[in-house]
Amino acid sequence: MKDRKTRFSRRTALKIGAGAAGVLAAPAIMKVARAQTGGFNWKKFQGQSIEVSLTLGPRANNLRTHEKEFTELTGIKVGSEVVPEQQHRQQQVIQFNSGNPQFDVTSVSWHVQKRLFGKSKWLVDMKPLLADSQLTAPDYDWPDFTAGGVRWATQADGRMDTLPNNIDPWMIYYNKELFAAKGLAFPRTFEEIVMAAEKLTDKSAGIYGWVSRGLKNANVPVWTSFMLGHDVDPVDPTTVKLQTTTDGAIAAAELYKKLNREYAPPGTVGFNWNEAQTSFSQGKIGMWIDGIGFAPPLEDPTKSRIVGKVGYAVMPQGPKARHSATFGDGIGIAAGSKKREAAYLYCQWATSKVMCNRLLQSGGGSPCRASPYKSPEVIAGLKLPREWLSCLEASSAIGRPGLPEIVPVTEFRDVFGVGLTNTIGGADARAEMQKATDAFAPVLAKSEA
Amino acid sequence: MTAKSTAMDRGYGRNYLPFAYPALLITGAVIVFPWLFTLFMSVHEWKIGSPRAFVGLNNYARLAGDERFIESIGTTLYFTLLSVVLPVVLGTACALIFNERFPLRGLCRAIFILPMMATPVAIALVWKMMFHPQLGVLNYLLSLAGLPPSLWHTSLDTVIPTLVMVEVWHWTPLVMLIVLGGLAAAPTEPYESARLDGANPWQMFRYITLPLIMPFVVLAVVIRTIDALKAFDTIFVISEGGPGTASETINIYLYLQAFAFYNIGYASAIVVVFFVLIILMAMVLLWLRQKAKWS
Amino acid sequence: MVMSAASPGVLWHTKRALSNLAFGFAVFVIVSPAILVMLWMLSLSLKNEVDNMAYPPVFVPSPPTLANFEAVFVNSNLMRYLVNSLLVTGGATLVAILVGVPAGYGIAKASAHRTAICILIARITPALSYLIPLYMLFQMLGLTGSLWSIFITHLVITIPIFVYVMIGFFESLPPDLEEAALIDGCTLWQAFRHVALPLARPGIVVAMILSIIFSWNNFVFGAVLGGRQTRTLPAAVYNMLTFEQVAWGPLAAAALLVTAPVLILTLFIQKEIVGGLTAGGVKGG
Repeated sequence: MKDRKTRFSRRTALKIGAGAAGVLAAPAIMKVARAQTGGFNWKKFQGQSIEVSLTLGPRANNLRTHEKEFTELTGIKVGSEVVPEQQHRQQQVIQFNSGNPQFDVTSVSWHVQKRLFGKSKWLVDMKPLLADSQLTAPDYDWPDFTAGGVRWATQADGRMDTLPNNIDPWMIYYNKELFAAKGLAFPRTFEEIVMAAEKLTDKSAGIYGWVSRGLKNANVPVWTSFMLGHDVDPVDPTTVKLQTTTDGAIAAAELYKKLNREYAPPGTVGFNWNEAQTSFSQGKIGMWIDGIGFAPPLEDPTKSRIVGKVGYAVMPQGPKARHSATFGDGIGIAAGSKKREAAYLYCQWATSKVMCNRLLQSGGGSPCRASPYKSPEVIAGLKLPREWLSCLEASSAIGRPGLPEIVPVTEFRDVFGVGLTNTIGGADARAEMQKATDAFAPVLAKSEA
Repeated sequence: MTAKSTAMDRGYGRNYLPFAYPALLITGAVIVFPWLFTLFMSVHEWKIGSPRAFVGLNNYARLAGDERFIESIGTTLYFTLLSVVLPVVLGTACALIFNERFPLRGLCRAIFILPMMATPVAIALVWKMMFHPQLGVLNYLLSLAGLPPSLWHTSLDTVIPTLVMVEVWHWTPLVMLIVLGGLAAAPTEPYESARLDGANPWQMFRYITLPLIMPFVVLAVVIRTIDALKAFDTIFVISEGGPGTASETINIYLYLQAFAFYNIGYASAIVVVFFVLIILMAMVLLWLRQKAKWS
Repeated sequence: MVMSAASPGVLWHTKRALSNLAFGFAVFVIVSPAILVMLWMLSLSLKNEVDNMAYPPVFVPSPPTLANFEAVFVNSNLMRYLVNSLLVTGGATLVAILVGVPAGYGIAKASAHRTAICILIARITPALSYLIPLYMLFQMLGLTGSLWSIFITHLVITIPIFVYVMIGFFESLPPDLEEAALIDGCTLWQAFRHVALPLARPGIVVAMILSIIFSWNNFVFGAVLGGRQTRTLPAAVYNMLTFEQVAWGPLAAAALLVTAPVLILTLFIQKEIVGGLTAGGVKGG
């Protein structure tokens, strides 16, 4: 089917990832009339006001901090609300479902919401807007966007209903001091991770070699990170069948179980990223696997005890492959919005070079443009160590989606997340994964039929 | 609200019902549409984003075979039992204490009822911070007392007792208040005559106080039962139904199906079954209350 | 405590002293959990992050900081949410008094349990099941995002509380006084208004307290049905408070700010409780 073929080729393209230099320029799908003066005016819609609904996080912080600039630039008033992830997703769905959401602009998590939003056509297609020289700034520079970002933002039917905002690859933070104390080098393979975790763990001193998310739903990316190292996707992109009981998936689950059960602090079953981050920032944890966007608090002296001691490492080599699980978000316009053009100006501004540079500099994420990574001024103004940036670039280069591109992603995360949490409690990894697969397979079949 | 009346009318029968019409009207108006919607949806399969399909009683059949749902019923009952019995017993005891006069009683009473006034969502978060296995203050206090640290909400075995503890802290004052109302309205003559008959405090409690406050205790039990069955905020904030599914009550499962998985049809069926369960329990308790009515 | 009729001796005084001590200890034990958690919340909110993450925990912040509270006010429109909450809860409670007290009376007198159940269904139904249909309904009426929609749904919280408490209360009132009034020629309404209602004060007080608590602390309706400007306080805080935040300080500060109005209200209402309950007690003797 055409649908699946498109997905398959995108999958290969996505492996190219987002931020690496030398990546293909976004194909000239649209003829953006560049260097045309007259016609485009930032102040064209001044006096209007728009509602913006954002997910709590560094991207939202970036946008909110500079919101006044947008109003000065365009004369458009912005009423913005920042809502934590879970609540935000519910609100979006309830409002979209009613046909008349209260917001004009909203952020979209591709790895969770893309298929659902695309299938229901809840967002406006950006392509005609990008092609319209009256609405798109001449210096927007669409080709600056990376192929990976554009592909993520594009739906299977060709509509591009968000502008790419951020790609989040996973990597491993490590405590340089603890590693040096034991004379260890950072592991290069999965086996070495286990060995390092073991050597670092000293329960009597309250030091643990590993921490990661244990809370159901949130913990699935940890498992898929390992799974990708076995060159296995959770759901096969062509056949749309679960591969969660293959040897690779089971091995990944067993690695998850071993690390969390034996080398992680007690209570990890209740940890989401922020508890893990808090634990790691206290200086008694050797390694923490998570998204690269969570770095800034670790280098903040008012929040962390390990400022300057944080190492940023790319995912080590797995038995069959080396990948970094990636996730991403975009920004889109509600289909029911009566202020499309004004909303579009906001989205443009949010993904403009200036804002993308700022995002990279603050370490709040990795924008989907190529220019910030190549700009000396940006790099010089980076608030995080250079190591972070090089880790980001290297991880993006080996990026691969960490979650399947299906509609019932949340249910997938929940069902398999429960199984993973149970393994930390001692349950058999194979049995749990089998159980979860049996429970989820009918849901998947029904939704993708 | 003019009541039809004759002076000789003793108030039995329909004449008093008009008093209730406005309340009935308003409540009815607001809940009718949601209920119709729920019943309608429960016989459909509808996932937001997909088209709706009529499936008859299929959702209910699925529920009967849904292991996770059955498990959640057990979890709910376990949680509810503890969350009702403990606050009622403790609350009644506290009511007896507060019924006595002692210096600073007003202040103590004010402090005592603070927990039930606090916003559950906000307070649960504070509790969660206190429960943190490494950095939380509760494990610190345990270590001061020479006890081993507890895993609180992060362990399958201790998560429900942990949640019950928060519920007890939160709602014991409510029970206390209800029973205290009953104690305060109790007449003193029976006590006088009992004392003259030579009864000791325990006997007076057992044979005078207890029957007098029984209707109020039962009221408290009913209110607590309904609230405990529906408990959401505390559980959601502290454990999200975890670890795994250890603290996943019916209401949490309902939330997951409706707002995380967007299975509106299936979730509606859960609402109906859940509602029936609550009604059954409430009816049992109301019947007990009728028997215990003090007249 | 029961006073013995015999004249007191030393042993009796000692026993008395010990039982007073035991009593005082009991009071201390039951009051301390309440105050300690509140104090800890206060402590968390006044400490900076490093202190908050310290182990062993720091109890008294040095120096205390107001930065957390600042952060809360800067990041959200708390004053407006506070006003919204006051309007919604105040309004819903007022309507519930006007409508629920007579209803409780009528149902109690008529022993109309089925009617009672009809109203109580509203209380028994899980709140989550209201959300999507009510959102769609208000959508059709054009009320989404306005305080009216939140106010209307809160009626479903407050009215059943009043009805249920007043049923219990009126059922336990002896009917003699009203019978006397009716024989004297009063209408049912007059008997209610002039005889039963004044006696109902303790019940109304309890119902009012419950109604205010449950309506104020409800976040579900305000979170889903409210727009950015019309959220109620807990809903706004629910949107801010999340297990996703690293910072304990701002979380505790927000928690404190949300619960503070209700706690302060408690201190004022507390006198009413005492007044209401002792009035009932005195009447009995």
